[in-house]
Formats: sequence, C-alpha cells, structure tokens
Amino acid sequence: MLVLVALLCLLFYARLPGRLPTEADYRAVSERIQAELRPGDAVLLFPWWTERARLYLPPEVPVYGYFGSNRDDLMAHPRIWVLGQPRLPRADEAAFLEAFLPGRAATGEPLQAGNLTLTRYANGRYRPHRFVASREYARARVYLESQDGSKRPCPFDGKAHRCPGPPHLYVAPEWHEIQYEPRYCLWMHPPGGAERLVAEFDGVPGGMGLRLEGGLTSEVTFSRPHLSNVHLGVDDAKSGERLLDVVVPQGVPGVQKAERQLPPGEPRTVKIWTRADSPDLRHLCLDVFALGAPGEGS
Amino acid sequence: MLGRAPTREERRIAWALWALAFIALFLTERSVGFVRDEGIYFAASESYASWWKLLFQAPGRALTDAGIVRAFDVNHEHPALMKQLYGWSYLLFHQGLGWLRPATALRLPALAMGALVPALTFLLGSALHGRAAGLFAALAFLLVPRHSFNAELAAFDMPVAAMWLLVVYAFWRAMEDHRWGVWCGVAFGLAIATKHNALFLPFVLLPFALWRAWKESEATPAAREGVWRFVALFAAVALLYGLLFVALGPSGFQKRFLWLSPHVLLFVGLAVGALWLLRELYRASEPTARALIPVAAMAAFGPVIFYLHWPYLWHHPVDRVAWYLSFHATHEHYAWFYLGELLRAPPFPLTYVVVKTALTVPTSLFVPMVLGWLTVVGRALLSLPARTREWVSRPSTTEALVAVNAVASILIISHPRVPHFGGVKHWLPSMPFLAILAGMAVTRGCAALVERLRAHRPTLPFAAVAAPVFALLMAPALIGLVRVMPYGTAFYSELAGGLPGAASLGMQRQFWSSHVTSVLPWINQHAKPGARVYLHEVTGYSFQDYQQNGMLRADLRLVWSPFEADIVAYQYHQEFREHEFNTWQAFGTRTPVTGLYLDETPQIVVYQRP
Repeated sequence: MLVLVALLCLLFYARLPGRLPTEADYRAVSERIQAELRPGDAVLLFPWWTERARLYLPPEVPVYGYFGSNRDDLMAHPRIWVLGQPRLPRADEAAFLEAFLPGRAATGEPLQAGNLTLTRYANGRYRPHRFVASREYARARVYLESQDGSKRPCPFDGKAHRCPGPPHLYVAPEWHEIQYEPRYCLWMHPPGGAERLVAEFDGVPGGMGLRLEGGLTSEVTFSRPHLSNVHLGVDDAKSGERLLDVVVPQGVPGVQKAERQLPPGEPRTVKIWTRADSPDLRHLCLDVFALGAPGEGS
Repeated sequence: MLGRAPTREERRIAWALWALAFIALFLTERSVGFVRDEGIYFAASESYASWWKLLFQAPGRALTDAGIVRAFDVNHEHPALMKQLYGWSYLLFHQGLGWLRPATALRLPALAMGALVPALTFLLGSALHGRAAGLFAALAFLLVPRHSFNAELAAFDMPVAAMWLLVVYAFWRAMEDHRWGVWCGVAFGLAIATKHNALFLPFVLLPFALWRAWKESEATPAAREGVWRFVALFAAVALLYGLLFVALGPSGFQKRFLWLSPHVLLFVGLAVGALWLLRELYRASEPTARALIPVAAMAAFGPVIFYLHWPYLWHHPVDRVAWYLSFHATHEHYAWFYLGELLRAPPFPLTYVVVKTALTVPTSLFVPMVLGWLTVVGRALLSLPARTREWVSRPSTTEALVAVNAVASILIISHPRVPHFGGVKHWLPSMPFLAILAGMAVTRGCAALVERLRAHRPTLPFAAVAAPVFALLMAPALIGLVRVMPYGTAFYSELAGGLPGAASLGMQRQFWSSHVTSVLPWINQHAKPGARVYLHEVTGYSFQDYQQNGMLRADLRLVWSPFEADIVAYQYHQEFREHEFNTWQAFGTRTPVTGLYLDETPQIVVYQRP
C-alpha cells in the first residue's frame, strides 16, 4: 500500500507541470480578449485565485477573482469572459459551473490555449446601470446633518467632499475590500451620534430598481465587538420619504443590500446617508444604483 | 531494550546525519528570507551580545538591573538561550572573524540545533526498531519541506523540537543509566530556556517514570515504599504551594516570593528531599531509582537553569516570570485561513492540527506516520482484552513513549482555545516521533516483503528491498521540497493537491513574509534611486536586515503604506486583501508588474506607481 501511495504521489508531481499554463498561453488569451473586447466586458477567473492572469490581461478590462466570485452576478457586465484552468488540482469545474451558469449562456467559440480555457458568456444577470452614485459623486452635495435638520457643508476639493471634523469624514469613491471582494464604492464614514453624513444626488431616474449596497471594509467588522451598528439609507430629498435603508451589523461581514422599484416619473433627488452611534472605526463603503431589469439591454 | 546506549556505528551514523543536515541547511540558508519574528530576534540577539561585551568591559554596569534591562528588554516574551547563542555566533563569525554575513552568523546555532533532530531521531529510532527505521525517520523528518524551512530560521520552533527530543532521549537513556537522569534535568532546563512548549514535557514524561518505578519496585517492598515516599514528597510540596497560593492570593503569592520565603524553602526542601529519597531508593532498587531520577532532576534543575540562563530574571525573577507566563497564556490570535474560513478567534476547529498536518506533510511520509502510530495504538488496545491479547505483541515502553510524544504537542495545540496561527511550527516537537513511527511501519513492511521474496531468493539482503522502497517513499517529498524551497510556508502535500489544490481548498497561502525575497532582485533592478518601497508584512527590522545583508539596495526607503510608496510588494493573505486594493487606489491601476506565483498561486504581487 505504501508503495502505491508513493507511486501516486510521484504521478502527481509528474503530471503537475503539464497542468500549469505558460506565458504563451496567457498571451494568446490576452490577444483574443483584446481583439474582441467590448465596453462593459469583464473577465472572471476560475479558480477564483488564479490572479497571475492580471499580469497579462489588457489593463482596461475588469478582472474578477476573489473568494466567492463564482457566485457574483457581475450585474454591470453584459458579457463575461471566463478564464479557466480546469486542469488544476481540485479546480472542480462542475461546482464552478453550478454557481456560475444559471442565467448565463456561452457565446462564440471557446479558446483553448494550453491549459487555459477562455469562454465568452452572455450575462443574463446583467442589469443596465442608469445611475451609479460612485460615478456621479463629484456633482453631489455633501453635508453633515444634525437631528434638528441643520447642515454643515463638506466642500468638494476636486477629489473628495471633505467634512469638518476628523480626516476620515469625507465622501469619495475608493477601492476597498468587503468580505474579500474588491469594491469601488463611496467611502462614507458616519460621523457618530445622531448626526448623519449625507450625499445628495440629482437626476436619479424613475421606473428603475433603486438599490443600496454597503458594508464595513476589511477586518474592521471583526475588530471591536463593542462598536455600534451602522445605519445607511436613501431618502427622497423632496418628500423626505424613506426609500431604502439597511443596517450593517457589527461583526457581520459582507455587503448588506436593499432594493425597491421606483415608480415611473421624473428623475428625482435622493439623499444617501449614513449614521452610527459610535464614531470609531465605522469604515463604511457603499453605493447606490438605479438598475434596469435583469437581462434588459444585454 | 529500554534506554540502551548507541553502538559505535550508530554514533557514527548519527554524527554523519548531523553533519549532512547541517551542511544542507548551511548551503541553502542564504535563499530563505527573513521571517517576521527573525527581525526582532536578530535585533534581540545583537542586543544580548552587546551586553556580554559590556560584562567583560564594565561588569559593574552590566550587572545592574538597568544595565540588564537595557539589553534584555527587547523581546522578553521569550527566554534568551537561543538568542544568546545567535548573538555569540554573530559576534564571533561576523563581527570577529568576518567569515559570514550577519544573517548567516545569527542563524548558525539554529542550523546546528535543527541538524540535531535527524541525529537524535536516528538514535532513538534505531534503538527502537533497527538502523533502517532510524535512518528512514531521520531523513523523512528533514525532507518535509516545512521542517526544512523552519530549520533554516533563527527562531525557536525547530530548536525546541530538538530540545524536546533531547529531553525524551535523555529520559529514555536514564532508564538504564542514572547519569542520563541528571542530563535529562539539564536538558529540560535548556528546553524551557528555549521555548515555553517544553513546559509541558513533565506532564508527558511523569506517567512513564511513575509506571516504570511502579513496575520495577513490584518485587521489592522497600523500593515500593521509596516510590510512595517520593510521590508523597512531591504531592506534599505541590499541596503546600497550593495552600500558599490560596492563602496569599495570586498577587500576594507573587509579591512574597522572595529569596527568603516559604516558596523558596519549599523548592529547596523538594530538591534536598528528593535527593535524599533517591539515594535511599538507589540502595533498595537501582532500576526504580533510575526511573525517578529524571523527575527529580527536571524539578530541581529546570527552574535553576531557566533562572540562570536569562539575566533579565536575575533581579526580578518572580514578577518577570509571571509576566512571561501570562503573556503566553493570553496570547493574541492572528487571522488564519483554513478550509475557506478565516479563523480569527477561538473556539478553533478541533481537527485543525490533524488536517493541517495531513495537508502539509508529503503524503508518502504522512501515511506511514499514521500507519506506524495506529499500529502501536492498535496493538496497545488489542493487548488489553484477554480474548485478543494473544493476537498481538504488547507495545514496549519505548514504543509507548514514542507514540505518546508523537501526539503530545498535536493534542496540546488542538485545544480549541490555543492560538492556531503559524502553520505547523507549533507542533513540530511531535514530528520526529511520528517520523520514527513511520520508520517502524516502513521497515516492517520491507521485512515482510523480504521474507516473501526470500522464498525464491534466500540470499536476498534486506537492503536490496529497503533501499528502493525508502527511495520511492522519499522521492515525492524531495521533489516537493525542491519545487517549493525557499518558500516553505507555502508547501502543501499531494493530498491537498499541492499548492493549487490548497488554494482551492481555501487554505492559508503563506505567512511570515519571507517570500518577499523572490521579488527583491526585480525591485533592485527597477526601482528608481531613492525610491519609496512598501514591503507589505515585512517588518522594519527585516527591511534593514535585507539591506545590511546585501539583498536590497541601500538607497531604497522604507514606507508603511501604498499611498506613500513608489513600489508595493503585497503578500497574499486572505485577511489582508484591503492592502492590495489600497494599492489599486493609490496607484490607479489593478495591473501588477511582477510577482511570485508558485504553481500559479499568487504569493507576492508587485505594483509600481505608473
């Protein structure tokens, strides 16, 4: 039995180099993507950790590969290129496809470049993004709002809306990690107490799904169990109606989401706000979207 | 035979193994990066060495508490034995003779200690099951990539594994030779002066000593009485210490632990009483006394050697030992990725240590380890009921000693409240014993095969079968070792599916920051003069060490965040993803320029400000 185990181990090492891609494989894949790239395309890595691909892929194409990315809807992308390495040990392509395939269909000819496979998919989970707060942030009106309604403005300095108070009180889009996922989102650290940090946006279209997504970044979720929950929401600026709100509970990782259908009509002004009892380490990053229906425009 | 002395040939092989291991470690050490802990240990070692110089130049100043604290305050979380050896080696081989670069001089004693493991493993394995088993055990231990990696470091994990083995070896020899009982006490003192793991040794060895004493005194009433007296003495002292603790309370117990106090009196009483009892016992039954000498020696020499070796304790022994023990009893937990879950705080999975071992020891060595251990345990269990007793031979005391030590450290670290970071290094002391059991299993298998083959070829030598089988079992480990070194903390076994398989399983990719050496040549080549470099996870000490050892350009400046940096080398850790995304933010790009990708798994990712 021991001899058999040893032989199997030797076989493993004999086969391993033959399962790995070469630089030429990566270059071939990159050329194909470059040639057929369309705006809105994205690359999804399988297995999720095979990020060496970033060295070779065209820098303009977003590359997704994080722990959990198999299940990502990638709603912003009508087409997804799956760059796979199914021959890697424990790659488990079946499990990947089970998570990835629903709502998606392969299109075009797949490319096999050595041990790399490149398959293009039409993303049935795509939703047209008519409004994205993190994209529109420069034209937002940002202020700190007390309970009595008084406001302290956070003037825009060309990069961020900086508020009076500690240096982390500002609004700007940034890359952050929420539960392993890289997200380009609005940094909106709540000021603490009853005061709210508010960003007002005009022109949010009606008849769309209004969606709020936010979470605490990095390891902050776990570091201080005594810290308070973070409240965030979206209000209609004119009527004061609460359109959306979610709570990001302390100690619960990941993105908290809420969505509702806005009635058709004129574009409206919304107030995106954050609040937390504790002013410490509430490293909140969020985004608000106005989304079309799934599959629309794909 | 229990506790037999090695033959001349065994001694020669043991020395050869030591030399072979030392040379192999010495020749490969240069490629291994400085792990986070080494940065502070290097600094501490140099600081302690400076104190020894001061001791010769101005002893009056050196021996004051202020003089001692100035040198020994750095890294007083760990005892000083190894760091003093590192420091002396640095003084001699780097500063004095100029033969070695600073890091190699500092690491030299660690290499010597690491090389001791295969030598001692061979001696114990050979005595247990023959030279072939010992040889297999010795080589198998060092071929485990994570063991080789740890043996290269000026840290304490491999030295304490060597010390643990040395204490057990001395304890085992003491059963036949009372002088080894004394050496066992000395070795125990040195072991606890190496790392706190060794504090558990008495709990592992005491049952064996008592069992042996009980068996040896069976036929001699005077000896049995002596055993009882010996046990009573220890029990009484323990009880009195307990009473003192209850009566004075924890802080009172600590405050009143003075040179002239009941605490010290009890210790002296224990030492003198044990010596007197053992002398009496020796007259009644030599074997019984031999079984208990290591216990007394550990109790007496352990604390004394621990105190004497560490100047930091000389003026305030009790307070500082209390702090030291409390530090380790309440050690913080670091995040650790395990089977797709980021472990941050206890309770940790009970199976963690076993699973991690299975996934990091080359499978062709792990399977015989498990087989060897199960065989001993199976024989022990089957020898209990009368119905099955005849089927098996009951494990010898030596086999039991090896089997218990093979799981002792594993069981201690398996406790769900014990910190679980650090890969396999915290239960390294178990591994030589598992290697011995593997050697037993493999040689038994070879012997069975030889017996069958001899039906056709009666003159077939054992080596003709054992040599190719050994080679076959060790070859995958050697291939794995060559493929992964010097990036030892990244190694995963065939059972895991290698590094790619482990990445898909959601295992910790690497830790301790030493893999950064893979990208230092690129940084040296591409960084502009005076560039600001952020080496994620690399300590300031290590940054300086890389420059001092000629591995990183001297003009490069250390910064502490991507936002201040021109070049970032990010270490892939699941809990540190934010650092890479901060780099995207700071540099405005998500495209790295180079990196270390071991079998495709990202380990180090380098970004350059456009």
